[in-house]
Amino acid sequence: MHLSYLASLGHYLPELIVCLTMVGLLILEATYDKHERGRGMLYSAAVIGLFVAFCISVGSLTDQAQPLFTNSVVIDPFSGFLKIIMILGTLGAVYLAAQSKDIYSEMKAEFVILATGVLMGGMLLASANNMLILYLGIETLSILSYALASFRKADERSSEAGLKYALYGGVSAGIMLFGMSHIFGVVGTIQFSEMGARLSELSGTQIAILAPSFFMFFAGLGYKLACAPFHMWTPDVYEGSPLPVTAFFAIVPKLAAIGALTRVTMVFFQDVNALHHSWIALLQVVAIITMTVGNVGAIGQRSIKRMLAYSSIGHAGMMLMGVVVINELGARAILFYGATYLFMTLVAFLITSFVQDKYGNDHFERFNGFIYRYPLMAIAMSVVMFSLAGIPPLSGFVAKFNILAAVIEKKYYVLAIIGGLNSVISLYYYLKIVRLMVFKDVESDENIEGLGFVNQAVILGLTVPVLLLGVFWSKLISLAGAAKILIQ
Amino acid sequence: MHGTSTLLNWILWTPFLGVLGVIIFPLFFSKDKQDNVVRWWSLVNTIASMILAVVLYMKFDNSVPGMQEQFMVKMAWIKQFNIFYTLGVDGISLPMILLTALLFFLCILSSWTITKSVKGYFALFLMLQSTVYGVFMALDFFLFYVYWEVMLLPMFFLIGIWGGENREYAAVKFFLYTFFGSILMLVGIVALYYASGKGIDSFNILALSGGKFTDNMVSMFGTTFSFSKLFFVAMFIGFAIKVPVFPFHTWLPHAHVQAPTAVSVILAGVLLKMGTYGFLRIAYPIFPQASVHFADWIAILGLINVIYGALCAMAQTDVKKLVAYSSVSHMGFVMLGLAAMTVHGMNGAVLQMFNHGTSTAMMFLLIGILYERSHHRWIVRPDGSKGFGGLYTQLPRYSIVFIIAMFASMGLPGLSGFISEALIFLGIYQKYTTITVLGLFGLLIGAAYLLWMFKRMFFGEVVEECKSYTDMNAREIFYMTPLCIAVIVFGIYPAPVLDIMKSSVGQLVSLLAQFQ
Repeated sequence: MHLSYLASLGHYLPELIVCLTMVGLLILEATYDKHERGRGMLYSAAVIGLFVAFCISVGSLTDQAQPLFTNSVVIDPFSGFLKIIMILGTLGAVYLAAQSKDIYSEMKAEFVILATGVLMGGMLLASANNMLILYLGIETLSILSYALASFRKADERSSEAGLKYALYGGVSAGIMLFGMSHIFGVVGTIQFSEMGARLSELSGTQIAILAPSFFMFFAGLGYKLACAPFHMWTPDVYEGSPLPVTAFFAIVPKLAAIGALTRVTMVFFQDVNALHHSWIALLQVVAIITMTVGNVGAIGQRSIKRMLAYSSIGHAGMMLMGVVVINELGARAILFYGATYLFMTLVAFLITSFVQDKYGNDHFERFNGFIYRYPLMAIAMSVVMFSLAGIPPLSGFVAKFNILAAVIEKKYYVLAIIGGLNSVISLYYYLKIVRLMVFKDVESDENIEGLGFVNQAVILGLTVPVLLLGVFWSKLISLAGAAKILIQ
Repeated sequence: MHGTSTLLNWILWTPFLGVLGVIIFPLFFSKDKQDNVVRWWSLVNTIASMILAVVLYMKFDNSVPGMQEQFMVKMAWIKQFNIFYTLGVDGISLPMILLTALLFFLCILSSWTITKSVKGYFALFLMLQSTVYGVFMALDFFLFYVYWEVMLLPMFFLIGIWGGENREYAAVKFFLYTFFGSILMLVGIVALYYASGKGIDSFNILALSGGKFTDNMVSMFGTTFSFSKLFFVAMFIGFAIKVPVFPFHTWLPHAHVQAPTAVSVILAGVLLKMGTYGFLRIAYPIFPQASVHFADWIAILGLINVIYGALCAMAQTDVKKLVAYSSVSHMGFVMLGLAAMTVHGMNGAVLQMFNHGTSTAMMFLLIGILYERSHHRWIVRPDGSKGFGGLYTQLPRYSIVFIIAMFASMGLPGLSGFISEALIFLGIYQKYTTITVLGLFGLLIGAAYLLWMFKRMFFGEVVEECKSYTDMNAREIFYMTPLCIAVIVFGIYPAPVLDIMKSSVGQLVSLLAQFQ
C-alpha cells in the first residue's frame, strides 16, 4: 500500500521529532545565554525531544511493514527496534557529554545538536529501502561525525582524527557510490525489494561485473561499521575524539550500519541467487578478520579508550556473524546484541570518562585499586567487563550465545569456534582492567569529583540491565524476535 | 512425573543465602565485630548446607539406577530455546555433593585466620560453593554451562586477591585456560541442541544421552566427519582442561601454589572432579560410541598423567607444588578407570574421585597449617639449605595426621586410596594389560616421592627455626578429624559410597557396552 507524501509523514513521526529537536536546539543555541543555566535548558530540550521520539517509537512498533515516500523508506519492526536502541544510545551520549570535561563547555551545545543529527542519519539508514536513501543516510551520518571527531579544536590529535575520518569517509563513500552506479547499471533498479528477483535472472557476464560492484558497495557500509579491512581509521579517530564522541561513535553509527547491512543482506540474498554464496563467503571472511584484528589489537593498548575502541571492532565482527546466516535467527541475535552492547558500552565509557577527567589520561594504571576507593563503581565496571567478554550469567554472554546459536544452526562450526576463541582473547584484556581494579594497591586516594551520588546512581542503573538481561532474557529475545525485516 | 521435593533447591541456594547474609549482617555490628560475625555466619551456613546434604543422603534410594525422580526440580526458563531450570541427583553426583558439603565446611574453619577483607573472602567462598553445587546438580545443558562458567569468577578473585606472590598470573592463567575449554564445550552444546531438533528436550542432558547422534555427519573443509566424534573431542578438551589431563595441565601448579589454603583444597578436592564428572555425566552418555572409539587415547593420556605427574612431583622442592603434581598423577588414575569402561573400573574411578577429594584435601590443609607457622614451603630452599627438618619431634600430633594423609594418598592398604586404585586396576587389567603394569609403576613413584618428602621434612636434624613452631591447636585438630575418619573408614569399609553409585554406574557401563 503506497501512501501519499503527506500521509507518509504520519508514520515518520520519530524521525520528524528528532529533526525538529535538532532545529529547535539550533535556534536555542543561537539565542540562549552561554552559561550553565542556558546550557541546562538546552540539555533538557534535547532530552525531552529524544524522549518523546523514544516514546513514539516504542508506541508505534508494529508487526507490519509500512513503505513511505514511494517506497524509498520502510518502517518495519526491525528498523523500529534499532531506532529505539539508537535513541537510547544518543540519550546516553548526551548525558555523558553533559558530565564530561573532555568537551569544551562552550562546545557542549554543538555536541548535542550534531549528535541529534547523526541520530537522524542513523534512523534514515536503518529504514532505507533503496540505494539512494542508504547513501543519504550514510552521508548524513558521516559528515556530522567528521565535525564531531575534530571537536577539540586546540588538540592536534582531534584535528587529525577529524581529517582522517573525513578523508577515509570521502574515499569510501566515493567507492560505494561507484559500486552502486554499477549495480544500477546492471540490475536496472535502486529499489531494494526488486533487487532479489533481478539478481536471480542475470547472465554470467553481468555477474562478473556485479561481483566487484557489490564489493565496492560493501566497502561503504564496512567503513561505517569499522570492519576489517576498512577499520584503519577507527583507533586513531576514537582516540583523537573527545571521550563522549568516542562512546557515541561506538554505539549509534555502528548499529545503524549493521542494521543497514543486515537489511541489504536479507533482502538481496535471502534466495539462493548467483551472488548468494560469494556474499556469504565475503561476510564470513570479513567477520573473522574483523574480530581477530579488533581483539588482538586491543591487547597491547595502554589507554582504556583505545582499548574499548579496538574491542568495539571485535564486537562489530561478532555482530557480523549474525548477518552471515541471513535469517531471522541472526537478525534477532543482532538486535539483542545491540541492545545489551548499548548498556555495557555506556557504563564502561561513563566510568572511564570520570577517571580521565580527574587524571588527565585514561591509562590502565589509573584504575589501580579502584575497588578500595569506589567499590560500587569497580563492581559495575567488572560486571561490564565480564559481560563484554561473554561470561555468564551476564547479558553479554546471552548476546554471544544467540549469535553462536544462529551460526551453528547453519552448521558454520569453524566460524563459531573462531568467534568463541575471540571471546577468550577478549577476556584477556578485559581481565586486565578487573585485575588492576581489584588486585593492585591504591595509587592515590583523591576523590574523583565526577563520581558523585547522582552519577554513581546512573551508572548502577545502567548496570542493572546488564545483570538482569543475563538471567531473564526471555522477554527481550521475544521482542527482538518479533522485530522482523519485512520486504516491501 | 516430577517430584515436589525442593531439597535440591535448598542445597543449591543455601550458600547463596549465605552470601546475602555476609553482605547484610555485618551492617548491624560495630566494625571490630564484623569479621567474626562473617566467620560465624559462614560456618553456620555451611553446617546447614551439610545437614541438608546428609538429609539428601538419607532419603536417597540406592537401588534406582538413573536420576532420582523424587528430587527432580524442573522449571521453564527461556521458552524460545527450550531452556529449563532442571536439577537432579543420581549415584554419581551424590558423592560429589556430599564431598562438596564436607570440604566447604572444613575450609571455612581453616579460613578462620584470613584477615584481609574478610567479608569479601567469605562471600566469594560461599558463592563458589553454590556454583559447585550447581554444576553437580544441573541437568539442563545451558544451566550446567552457566554454573560451570560462573564458578570461574569467585575462583579468579579468591586466587587473585588472597593468593601468594605470583597470584595475578596464576589467576589469569586459570581463568583463560578454563574459559578456552568451555568455549569449545559451548559450541558442542549448541550443536547438540540443533542436532536433536531443538525440541523441548534439546538442552536436557538426560534426554540427549543414549547415543542418539551416532550416525550424524558433519561436513567441513570438503570432507565429512562423524558428528559425535567431532564434538566428543570438543567436549573432551573442555573437561580435560579441568581434570587436568596432560598437555592441558599447565595451569594447575600455578593456581595451586598461589591459591590460599582453603581455595587449594576446594580446587583439588572438588573442582578437578568436575572434569571427570563431565565425562561421566555428559561426554560418555551422550557420545557413547565416540567414547568407546577414543578409549585407547583416554587410557594413554591417563597413563601419561599418572607417570608424568608423579615424576614432576618428585622433582619439586616446594611441598605444595609437590602435592599439586600428585593431584595430576591421581586424577590420571581416574582417567584410567574411565577408559576401562567396566563396572570395576568405573566404580573405582568415581570412588577415587571421592577418596582423592578427602586425602588431597588433608594434604593441602596440613600444608596450610604448616605454612601459617613457617611462612614458606620449601623442602629444600633455592640456596640448597633445608627448609624443614625434624618436624616429627617438634610437632608430634601434626606428624601423625600427616602420616595418615600421606599413606592414604599413597594408596596403602587399609586406607581409602588403596580401594579405589585397586578397583581401577582390576577394571582395566583385561583391556589394557601393558598400561596397567606401567600404571603400577606410577604407584611406586608415588610412594617414592611422598616418602622422600616425608623423610626430608620430618626426620633428620631439627632445623633451627622449626623449633619455634607450635603443634596443631584445637580448631585445627577439629577440622582434620572428619577427614581422618573418612580416610580410615572408607579404607576399611567403602561400601557406603560404593552402594550409592553402584546402580548409576552400572547403567552407564551397560550403555557403553552396547557400543563396544
